[in-house]
Amino acid sequence: MKLVLLLRLAARNVARNARRSTLTALAMVIGLALLVFSRALADGGHEDWIRGAVRLGDGHVVLESPAFARSRDLADRLTPGALAAAERALAAPALRPLLVAAAPRLEVAALATAAAAAVPVAAVGVDPAAEARFSTLPGKLTEGRFLAPDDRGAAYVGDRLARRLGLHVGSRFVVSAQGADGQIADQLLRVVGVFRTGLPDADEGLIQVPLATARQWLGTGAAATAVALLLRDSHDVDRAAAALGAALAGRRDVAALSWRAAMPELDSAVKLDDDGDYLMHGILFAIIGLAIVNTMLMSVLNRSREFGILRALGLTRGQTGAIVFGEGLLLTAASGLVGLALGAGATWLLFRHGLDYSALMKGNITMAGAVISPIIVPILGPAQLLQSLAYIAAVGVLAALYPAYRATKLDLVEAMKFDA
Amino acid sequence: MTTPPAVRTSDVWKIFSHDGLAVEAVRGVDLEIARGEFVVLAGPSGSGKTTLLNMLGGLTRPTRGGVWVDGEDLVALPERGLAALRLERVGFVFQAYNLLPVLTALENAEFSLLLRGVPADERRRRVTELFATLGIAGLEDRRPGKLSGGQQQRVAVARAVAGEPALVLADEPTANLDSAASAALIDLMATLNRERGTTFVFATHDATLMQRARRLVRLVDGRVVSDERTG
Repeated sequence: MKLVLLLRLAARNVARNARRSTLTALAMVIGLALLVFSRALADGGHEDWIRGAVRLGDGHVVLESPAFARSRDLADRLTPGALAAAERALAAPALRPLLVAAAPRLEVAALATAAAAAVPVAAVGVDPAAEARFSTLPGKLTEGRFLAPDDRGAAYVGDRLARRLGLHVGSRFVVSAQGADGQIADQLLRVVGVFRTGLPDADEGLIQVPLATARQWLGTGAAATAVALLLRDSHDVDRAAAALGAALAGRRDVAALSWRAAMPELDSAVKLDDDGDYLMHGILFAIIGLAIVNTMLMSVLNRSREFGILRALGLTRGQTGAIVFGEGLLLTAASGLVGLALGAGATWLLFRHGLDYSALMKGNITMAGAVISPIIVPILGPAQLLQSLAYIAAVGVLAALYPAYRATKLDLVEAMKFDA
Repeated sequence: MTTPPAVRTSDVWKIFSHDGLAVEAVRGVDLEIARGEFVVLAGPSGSGKTTLLNMLGGLTRPTRGGVWVDGEDLVALPERGLAALRLERVGFVFQAYNLLPVLTALENAEFSLLLRGVPADERRRRVTELFATLGIAGLEDRRPGKLSGGQQQRVAVARAVAGEPALVLADEPTANLDSAASAALIDLMATLNRERGTTFVFATHDATLMQRARRLVRLVDGRVVSDERTG
């Protein structure tokens, strides 16, 4: 009963000075709408970086031997037994809904030699059908075609590497690497396609060959150095890694590694960007919070006489403060809902197809193994919306605390003498 | 067991500090007011009427001495206890009406009943009856801003007596009213006092109200200089 009465008083006080309440709420509404939009844009950008990097690299999660993760040595490849265990783990019911594609790879450090030069490269045996689902590399074609499932002795090479080696589609060159038996093995390859990613490491030093060709060349049999996994959503990485970890528990020859561990530079870049955003949001909301404190405090001081009357009528100091706190909560709740709707609505209506930065970006911009896309599609998720709501709720609650405290501290008799 | 007086004071003092100087607003007042009395505290400005009234209502604590309301020792009560006392045993009527502007006349009148958790039908019954007695029936849904001064003060009286307190303290209740509204309000409070046995203690300069008092306590410089039964 008391609570209902206090809330009723709070609600009517909020409604009573419509202009002041609207202006206070407006600060929170605009702040929250901006927060929703900027979080959606940041998450969209990060998702783009991550997805771009993992699709050109080793996926959201990679299954490989812990020893290979350290040595990158063919001797530490996944044995047929470990590969079979990995395949069984991938069939786990908890994992299947999260998974888009699994791509086995056999990677080796090699020397590519043509008439023009000899260049150290990373030669990666891939399953062309799996890569077509997994990787963006087939789409980066500038000349020729991507590898086909029945290709043998074919190579898909970076454009800068092709230039250094003087290669074109149809050219032949030799790759040499230490095989499974420890001996140097050579393989004659024919260029079927040339790609350009914008990433210097890939364009200058990556060759993809059919998995069957790589296995035959290196004498590994049905082995792989890794199985790269692409997930539907980057946020599912930890769930997927945990499911795989559980399925592979007890095995020392294969482990699940998330992109964060595989690409710590990218992880740091995302975290740094997030931290920068949080700092900016913190400053923005501190300003909004101070504005709310100021407005509410003025309102408390202007209504000193009323608080005196309430105390004279039998309200305790705490109940008097609760009315002011309730006003803050009601304003915050209303602003939160409107701000959320405005932020989410405007983001979806105006930017659901992406925000195009092409005019500002000259050439390729790369960062930590990812090519920055000029078009960022904001991502609006329930977790992120709830997080934004929690942010404004925290600011509203904190901003209401001090004016509420001041209301509890008013001297009853002095307050009743107050003339606004 | 004897019924305690509505209010009693024993050598009560209130000393304010003003610019480093001690100002003795109330100086050793001994007073006992029985239930059902209609008492006026009279005296010039600065005589300590309002300060004494504030101490009787638990709005401020005495510097020394004792105050008992309905047998309750106000000096010994903690802050929450004083709030409960104001809610349950004391009603206030102020010069400036002091209705809550965001509540309707009815909600203002039933405010203390709401806080005390009195059921809605009982609240409505009591307040409706009071509004009829006070001649403000039909104004229940109006906010204070839509009422005349006299009507607002009647709502304030309804608020003060709705909870059937041991004591109603009224500080210059007629000061902002014209003579007709003032006379009508005094009549109504006298009626409530007579018919319901409500104890009224007024602080006033109003000669009409002083004439209607059944007991007139005069204060000068914080001391009681006379205490006459007139009715």
